[in-house]
Amino acid sequence: MTILPFPSFLDDVKEKGFKKAVFEGIDDSVERLTAGLNVQDLREAFRGETASRRPNPRLTPHADGFWLHMRPSYFNRDVTGMYPSFRLGWLSSYFVWFETITGILLMLWYTPSPEIAYGDMLTILSNVPLGQLMRDMHRLGAEFMVAVVAMHMMRTWITGSYKKPRQFTWFTGLLLLVITGFLSFSGYLLPWDQLSLWAVTIGASMAEATPVVGDQVNLLLRGAPELGANGLLRFYLLHVLALPALLFVFFGVHYYKVVIHGHSLPPQKENIGEDTAKRVPLDKRVYFIPDMLTYEMMWLGATTFIITVLCIWFYHAPLENHADPQVTPLGTTAPWYFLWIQGALKLGDKFFWGVAFPTIALGGLALLPYLDVTPSRRYAHRRFMLTIASLLISVTTILSYMGLAKFAVQTSAETEIVHELTFEPAHSKVGVGRTIPFDQMIVGAYTTAQMHHHDDMSANDMIAEINAEVLANGQFAQMIQELKDQHVGANQLPLRFRTIPAAEAPTLMRVMEAFAHHLEAEPNELPNVWGSLVITDNQAGLKRLDWVVSWDSVLIEGGEVQLDDNDDPILVYSDQVDAEGNPIPVRRIYSDHLFIHEASAYFD
Amino acid sequence: MNILFIRSIEGRILAGITMFVGMMILVGWVAINEEARMQSFVRQHTGRSIERGAELFASLCSECHGEEGYGAGDRAPGLNNPHLFGFDPVGLQTAAITNANRALVRLNKEIDSLLAELTDAQNPPTEERQNEILAAIAELEAQVEEQDIAINAAVTERTAILETLDTAVENDLFPLWDTIVDIEQTGDNEVEVFFNTNGTRLAQVGWAGDLHGYVVTTLIHGRPGSARVYPNSTGMAAWSQTAGGPLRQDQIEDLAAYILNWDKGENWTTEDFIAVAQYGKPLADGSLPSEPPPPPAGDNVLGIMQRWELEEVVGSAVSGEMLYDQEFGCTDCHRDGASAPDTIGTATRIRNERLTLPQFADYTIEQYIVESITRPGDYVVDGYSSGLMPVNFGLRMTDQQLADIVAYLLTQE
Repeated sequence: MTILPFPSFLDDVKEKGFKKAVFEGIDDSVERLTAGLNVQDLREAFRGETASRRPNPRLTPHADGFWLHMRPSYFNRDVTGMYPSFRLGWLSSYFVWFETITGILLMLWYTPSPEIAYGDMLTILSNVPLGQLMRDMHRLGAEFMVAVVAMHMMRTWITGSYKKPRQFTWFTGLLLLVITGFLSFSGYLLPWDQLSLWAVTIGASMAEATPVVGDQVNLLLRGAPELGANGLLRFYLLHVLALPALLFVFFGVHYYKVVIHGHSLPPQKENIGEDTAKRVPLDKRVYFIPDMLTYEMMWLGATTFIITVLCIWFYHAPLENHADPQVTPLGTTAPWYFLWIQGALKLGDKFFWGVAFPTIALGGLALLPYLDVTPSRRYAHRRFMLTIASLLISVTTILSYMGLAKFAVQTSAETEIVHELTFEPAHSKVGVGRTIPFDQMIVGAYTTAQMHHHDDMSANDMIAEINAEVLANGQFAQMIQELKDQHVGANQLPLRFRTIPAAEAPTLMRVMEAFAHHLEAEPNELPNVWGSLVITDNQAGLKRLDWVVSWDSVLIEGGEVQLDDNDDPILVYSDQVDAEGNPIPVRRIYSDHLFIHEASAYFD
Repeated sequence: MNILFIRSIEGRILAGITMFVGMMILVGWVAINEEARMQSFVRQHTGRSIERGAELFASLCSECHGEEGYGAGDRAPGLNNPHLFGFDPVGLQTAAITNANRALVRLNKEIDSLLAELTDAQNPPTEERQNEILAAIAELEAQVEEQDIAINAAVTERTAILETLDTAVENDLFPLWDTIVDIEQTGDNEVEVFFNTNGTRLAQVGWAGDLHGYVVTTLIHGRPGSARVYPNSTGMAAWSQTAGGPLRQDQIEDLAAYILNWDKGENWTTEDFIAVAQYGKPLADGSLPSEPPPPPAGDNVLGIMQRWELEEVVGSAVSGEMLYDQEFGCTDCHRDGASAPDTIGTATRIRNERLTLPQFADYTIEQYIVESITRPGDYVVDGYSSGLMPVNFGLRMTDQQLADIVAYLLTQE
């Protein structure tokens, strides 16, 4: 006879008393939630005691529960330490979830449209609490993930873990590496700033080099000949839908294979040609509950803590100006993990180095376990493969270095120098010219010629001498004309150089020293050079900084300065002659300018 | 390395909880500082927006509106301009006079009522009350005198300011005034009349929204017909991509932020009024220019070549250089060969490198240049990106201008 018309908790209370019924109820619920462990079992597990019940309840969640059915119930003690795995596989999985969670949060404020996307980034930074932190974390996590997955692959190579029976595991891992790269790359475009547009333009242009179908592939990817609304939408869908779907599928296959074959042991721990990963002696078993579970919880806390610290104090995701297909920034590079392809492209043929070479490299990696079939995983027996591995690392590093903008790209020295001083914030760096505090931007024209200081002369006398010289030889007039051409207001044009006010404006002084230093480093390309910084008022709270370089023109052929027999650069002379009948070299001038508002705070 | 692995379960649980709590504290700490961070981001971003606007203004607008925003006579109105921002040069003085006048009315009323009480025949006040009233009236009259002095001072100040501005008008510094009011007939102070009838620029054009909206709208749509109002200009074009111009919406906003940054609020001075070279004129009266402007060249290359032959169009290298450097800003890109082929050596390169290519077999050098300008996408020199050069130059240039530029480029050996 039940109290209610159906069996209920109240019957238990009637039968056993309230306290006992409640405790048993809780115990029962916990056992169902954990798929096998009751309160007592959990207490014993987390106290490090042996299980008092038989059969061992700690194995039940692996057999009955969904979440743990894909995790092994015990590991070999030899694979639970730092070596041989370095936790890289675990970290890779960690970042998959980390990126998914932070990515979903960012998605809430993002619209994939060229008109809105950049504004959305600004909203995330200016109007979403914790928005900046979330974006920093997602971006840093992405960079880490690419690095971690790549290192995971190299670790597998070095310990020979791809050998039989794990060949296919290696292959799915390689697919995951490629997917990770493309995930990161497709996310690169979404902020729709100059950095993303141009990095992706460079990356996507490699697809163009594919023979026969290159144009079609390119069109399919970008949605138009140039990246625009369609391209952004396609990259967005790739980033949030297609690639994650693929990633999760192959992640499942990969991990399933890992569990099926067991984690491979350190090479020296098993006999040559044997695979004992699945035969774990009783004394070597480390059970998932409680040991691995607590390890993983600890690592989860530690890794997230470290990323949080990094994102608060050390790393902020870059956001440059709005994407502008009309303005190519100087020194554009692909994302760092594609730099090796960009470097290879500088070696020659676009098709061979841009398409064939990466394909061959990846194909070679995919085939690796089927080519390297020697049974031994011992380091001493794998000298050849280890050499190849170090070669791969070295070549990738060198190619990546070659991919940097500073390597073998012909830009004239004056452009390069002024860019170096004025570039907008990118990758947590900013041109020093922008770091002059607003109150140190004292209106006037300053010259680097002042740095060639005679010890016996005061700075003021020095400037007087320089002024006399440049006013007489027309170089100053040339600068004024250049400033006029660049729309400096007529009332603002300087009449002569001023002495740098080193006492009131120490940062200005340092920037001018850096400017002079850069110019002096190019004696061949920029002979008899002086640089000038002309600071003018533009509006309340807004200054204009014009950077001028003036030098004698030299003969340049094929990007190389031509030298005479004395190793001096060959100057280009004009038709005119000076008072003594000597020809006058053609004087060249270059300028660029920037505006600085006092609230921009580049100098913080 | 394996030291990192805490061997006891409690140790790991403790470490995990500590890190987790640590992380939550950090995130909480970030969260309570978010308000300030977001505000400072907005400030910083506004600053950078003004910087970008300054850059756009210098390269696109300063040609007509002046490097310092003062405008140019009969070409384009000044934007660094108190009138645009609705500043009344005698506003303070006018307000002072109005306030003093109000006070006078009040004081006189009080005096009148006291006098009425004093002279009331039916209810004559007591002697004591009479003395009280007389004292009160004396005090009020002292106050009246104070207000009179205040009014006189404000009027003097106001007159001085108006005189200064009026002198400027007489010296023709305000080319605008005489086109608006027929000053000669009224005989009043011209500036005063102007401010009575044309208060601010927004009132002048009958704009119902705010100044930001006015500036943005003007940038987007341009000023159709402005060439008729400003005879020295070619007219304000539509700048926004939505209206067929070159600028994106965020660039329009940057420009607006820069222009609005000229506002000095209450701190404008008479000098600022005098510095403006051209004030905004009222809307066009609807009359048409006597001669319609010449049609654009278009992008039919062979058609252009035929017209040149028929109409005997001859280019001038001198005006071509000016058009190339300034009007159309070609040298902004064609300068050092980095983003576009260098201007220097154009003719040589075309003759020696381009026309030798099979697809240009039957081209003349002029035809090649015309095609490059009006249809830049048809052929892009190796090593340069396609799509960088605007495609609408054919619509922006007349036949004569195009011919001038071709003549100029032919001199670039």
